[in-house]
Amino acid sequence: MASMRNLILMAAVLAVLLIVPPFLGLGWQNALVNILIASLFALAFNLLSGQAGLLSFGHAAYFGMGAFATLHLMLAVEDGLGFPTPLLPLAGALAGLVVGLVAGYFSTMRSGVYFALVTLAFAELFHSLTPHLQGLFGGESGISSMRMPWQGIIFGSVLEVYYLTLGWVMLSILVLWAYTRTPFGRLTLAIRDNEQRVRFLGYNAHTAKMVIFAISAMFTGVAGALQAISNETANYALFGSQISAQVVLQTFVGGATIFFGPVVGAVSFTLFAYLVSDLTRSWLFYQGLIFVLVMLYAPAGIGGVVQHHMRSLRRADWTGLAKPYALAALGALLVGSAVIYLTETVAVLFGEEYSVNLRNAAGAYPGYHLFGLSWSPVSPLTWLVPLVLAGVGAVLLFKVRGTIAAKWEAMGRPETESTKAPDAAKLKGGAA
Amino acid sequence: MSTLHSQTGFALQLTDVTKSFGEISVMKGVNLAIKAGERHAVIGPNGAGKSTLFNLISGMFPVTSGDIALNGRSIVGLPPYQINRSGLARSFQITNIFPRLSVFENLRIGVLARHNVRFGLFQPVSRMRRINDEARAILAEVGLDARAADMAGDLTYSEQRALEIGMTLTTGADVILLDEPTAGMSREETAQAVELIRSVTEGKTLLMVEHDMSVVFSLCDRVSVLVYGNILATDTPKAISENREVQEAYLGEETAS
Repeated sequence: MASMRNLILMAAVLAVLLIVPPFLGLGWQNALVNILIASLFALAFNLLSGQAGLLSFGHAAYFGMGAFATLHLMLAVEDGLGFPTPLLPLAGALAGLVVGLVAGYFSTMRSGVYFALVTLAFAELFHSLTPHLQGLFGGESGISSMRMPWQGIIFGSVLEVYYLTLGWVMLSILVLWAYTRTPFGRLTLAIRDNEQRVRFLGYNAHTAKMVIFAISAMFTGVAGALQAISNETANYALFGSQISAQVVLQTFVGGATIFFGPVVGAVSFTLFAYLVSDLTRSWLFYQGLIFVLVMLYAPAGIGGVVQHHMRSLRRADWTGLAKPYALAALGALLVGSAVIYLTETVAVLFGEEYSVNLRNAAGAYPGYHLFGLSWSPVSPLTWLVPLVLAGVGAVLLFKVRGTIAAKWEAMGRPETESTKAPDAAKLKGGAA
Repeated sequence: MSTLHSQTGFALQLTDVTKSFGEISVMKGVNLAIKAGERHAVIGPNGAGKSTLFNLISGMFPVTSGDIALNGRSIVGLPPYQINRSGLARSFQITNIFPRLSVFENLRIGVLARHNVRFGLFQPVSRMRRINDEARAILAEVGLDARAADMAGDLTYSEQRALEIGMTLTTGADVILLDEPTAGMSREETAQAVELIRSVTEGKTLLMVEHDMSVVFSLCDRVSVLVYGNILATDTPKAISENREVQEAYLGEETAS
């Protein structure tokens, strides 16, 4: 049973998330907190964009509102309000819900591009307005607070914050998943498919879209609240378009059509940022490159690719696929190396440091260090290395791509299975 | 057309309905009275305004002037979802389903609306037995049992048309509007569709746009001829086919069959 397998898989993931973190360093514990927050943010966002088909470009608004509302509640707790620290995210949920209802009422009057633009406008409105509202948002520097102890728990260590975050994220994921099984969850998909038909079946589509928007904003607010609790501070930058864009990228790279797709995207991107941002300043460029490649060659996202393979687990001819897959991986590695080599070389040669060296060298092109080796910009070898790598890799990829496609074709269309509705098996059981 | 003033016995009554898009007038004072329980066809040449008429009745477009009454109560100015809740359901000329939902799900959406669990958020839909049973019954009625779990977008064209008819039944409306339900079908498919429409509209009021005169003859009690925004005549199919004015305006060579 596929659902049994999923259940075991999820239990295993949860067990790892519960047991492993105490043995990790502070950096990793912090990274895990960020991964959990990003995962919830992306899932909440995808309720609107993936399930209802309403692409929002301004979800930073509800993330930020959740964070600020929580910080204000934390400040009140500092002043003696007896509010339990573990329940602080409720403030974020409430703020997200209320702001989401208002913004949702207006933005869901339109669909498609106009909807996206209205959501963008709301976020930009908050972004430009909040620095001027000193009392509420603390001006440009923002507001800060401290986590107060509760019932003997101090909430001083990252690990305590981690477990608090884990609890809220797991609870939210459970609720968001249960949502998909309710009548309203099914209506959400129907609106994505054909909003007009829904109206002629007795539904007020605008109200429905507004409620979906508000629920999405509510869980986004919880994510913002968890961020505020973790950082103990927030400023107006939370409303920035970069935050809104990040969640769009993560969701689509992970796969918007699959429930856990956004989590895959959020985990990959947050891990990528954590691991690669220390190594190179060009990490945002690589992140953008990955996004473009996924959209071009795997539009269903990483989650879509994984799902495709999981569904064909028993049918697929894995021994036949092993060789072309290995060759494809090698080709990708070669092309990837060439791209990284060129990117880093360009970053050095057009960097500040090199321009100083260039001036000092008076006309000559000085050498530079990269990947632990010395290179000269005028040596043919410097440019031959990436050219050969990219050339061999590209030929390999080009050749093996046809082989892989042919192998899948020969196994029969995997689409025939994926086109079955998600609850197909259950339905047949129920009809009996 | 003096009967128009009577409020009783009519499932659907249009009084002096006009519609203009800017300067262009597409409905020029339509009067139409559909008796409760009758099967009524609207025929007319392309561009006569048949689909516009349906769009006006179902609330997709607002009327410019005139009145439309459903079971004696005016529905002018109501949004589509309220007209549907008042007891009128429609299909569309171009197939209008939820292509990426299962066939069963397509039908269940309407059943949920009928039972007022539109915004149900606190119970899984799989446990709502009565709703699932009802959706399954309609599934059987339109002969799509075997396709229940398939995505609606994967159905054949005539299956999709059957699904579309099924969807108009889900909300429990007693006035059904079908817009060219047999368009693009083969002869056998059309015969099947006619039988399906006959059985599912038993005891209900049917208003349909139809081009195929053989369908009109075998299915409908009365016919109205719409020509360029005017009702030219309303009568039994036989009388209409013998009406000289109608023959000139529309039927022409088609009556030869």
